Amino acid sequence: MSMHTAMPTSLIPGTSIIHRIHPVTKILWVVVYVILAFTTQNVIILYGMAVFAILMALLGGVFRPLLKAAYLIVPIGSSLISLQVLAPAVEQPWTPIAEVGFVTLYGDGLYFALVLLGRIVSSMLLSLVMVMTTHPSDLFLAFSKLKIPFTFNFMLAMTLQLIPVFQREVTLVLSAQKSRGMKGSGFSAVLPSFIPVFVGAVERVQQLSISLESRGFGSSGNKTSYRQVVARIQDWIYGVGGVTVMIGLMVYSILQPVWWNLSDIIFFSPQTVLVAFSVSVTVFTSVILGALYISFRKT
Amino acid sequence: MSRRAKHGFPAQIETDLAIKVEGAHYVYPNGKVIALSEVNLEVKQGELLGVIGQNGSGKTTLTKLLNRLLQPSAGAVYVNGLLTTDRTVQEMSAHIGYVFQNPNHQLFARTVKDELEFGPRNIGTSEDDIAQRVAEAVDFFGLGEYIDEHPYRVSFPIRKLVGIASVITMKPSIIILDEPSTGQDHQTTRVINSLMRRLAEDGTTVICVSHDMPLLADVVERVIVMRNAEIVADATPREVFADSELMLTTNLQAPQITNIALKTVYPLGGPIALTPQELAADIELRLRKGKY
Repeated sequence: MSMHTAMPTSLIPGTSIIHRIHPVTKILWVVVYVILAFTTQNVIILYGMAVFAILMALLGGVFRPLLKAAYLIVPIGSSLISLQVLAPAVEQPWTPIAEVGFVTLYGDGLYFALVLLGRIVSSMLLSLVMVMTTHPSDLFLAFSKLKIPFTFNFMLAMTLQLIPVFQREVTLVLSAQKSRGMKGSGFSAVLPSFIPVFVGAVERVQQLSISLESRGFGSSGNKTSYRQVVARIQDWIYGVGGVTVMIGLMVYSILQPVWWNLSDIIFFSPQTVLVAFSVSVTVFTSVILGALYISFRKT
Repeated sequence: MSRRAKHGFPAQIETDLAIKVEGAHYVYPNGKVIALSEVNLEVKQGELLGVIGQNGSGKTTLTKLLNRLLQPSAGAVYVNGLLTTDRTVQEMSAHIGYVFQNPNHQLFARTVKDELEFGPRNIGTSEDDIAQRVAEAVDFFGLGEYIDEHPYRVSFPIRKLVGIASVITMKPSIIILDEPSTGQDHQTTRVINSLMRRLAEDGTTVICVSHDMPLLADVVERVIVMRNAEIVADATPREVFADSELMLTTNLQAPQITNIALKTVYPLGGPIALTPQELAADIELRLRKGKY
């Protein structure tokens, strides 16, 4: 039976081209993405990276699970735009562009909000695609080859492997409590569900640590692995290609500084800022009110 | 569009049956695994029913359809005459109690007493009633000395009993026990055995999913056998466990005592014993008559 997870935080089994890429190449891509995302302020590059991550998701057959994570962008994006338009996180003087009553809106803020959102979206989407298309054991092996300390590597791999286990556990615990007449959602569901999951997690970790020690965990020397990952010529090409594109974009931007930050080229009209601000505030308020309603509604 | 309208099943039917399953079919959300295929089942009020089958044969899926934790992909499930798909799990919990295999999945309260009160409170039982139900459960399960303990501070067998008692206090007319004796000591298994008998005496319908064949052979009056998402046999434990072909094709094993009886006293005209007591009684009788 294939794994069915409620949240896109674990491997979605498959044999696509993305699944077959060497884990080290994928890690390299994530590093490239994060470096590029957090250095450039070019929204075209940032959202281009996000589109590329979506293309990877389509190629990897994980687009639908990725969409499940996309809802996180709604509260993040709306809060960023609302706050940045009111008080941009850039050096003053800010450029006032519109006024709503006693509230002043700044054009610089909208651009910077889009930059921040682009950084989060592009890095998040690519990281999720990587997690969804890489077997935790392969990731473990890849980190070993990169000489990451074994214990740290193991902690990371176990975390990724235990996520789907805990997801199943939460579903089971909620079923058990609902069977005793409890509402399965809302604030009242937290305690009856949280404690069994937490206790189960602690017990599982205790048993795991005993089991690991009894099987020689912590012993020195080289470790072998059941799974083997082989770096093919394509993996080298993909990896070198990714790094080259990043360096190329950086060099080009240094030579053409205007490319590094398009805020001097892209201007927003007062109407655009006003509409973006209104929509963001409405969406953000709705999200908060919706969350409060779900949390405190009568059960 | 409601499922009722879609499939044309009435929301409520007049019936004496505790459970009526009509052509229930269940496919897991990934669409690849058929967990139940056209299952039909009728269970009378107060019946003691055992459900056996290999892992993955559909036992748990069937029981989860009964208390509405799952909805059939096709077909209908009636519990006390109510179409489950028209109800919530919470509504169904007043009719049907579900004891999970692992008590750790349901215990959360600060004390055993709070845990036993949780279910009845959810279904709106009065305080006096709750106190009485808890007192009865504590008395029956022998939980007196643990009543103020944290459920996670008691031993696993006691925790298992707390889990069962926390459902019993809701006094549902139907109870599903999922692997009640797995990992339990002899004492706890004995308590579970007498609990099932007492529930049946009180008119409660009991459905026990288990791999513990001696327990089922001793207690239940009817067994259904599942294989590959279907019910392949529905008979008394004696008929089921005597059917060597059925046991073989379903990868199940009859109680050892039944196997011994089948190979020794049965060919000589003796009974298909389900319990050591039955076999011993037959041997004693034959010895007296000088047949050995």
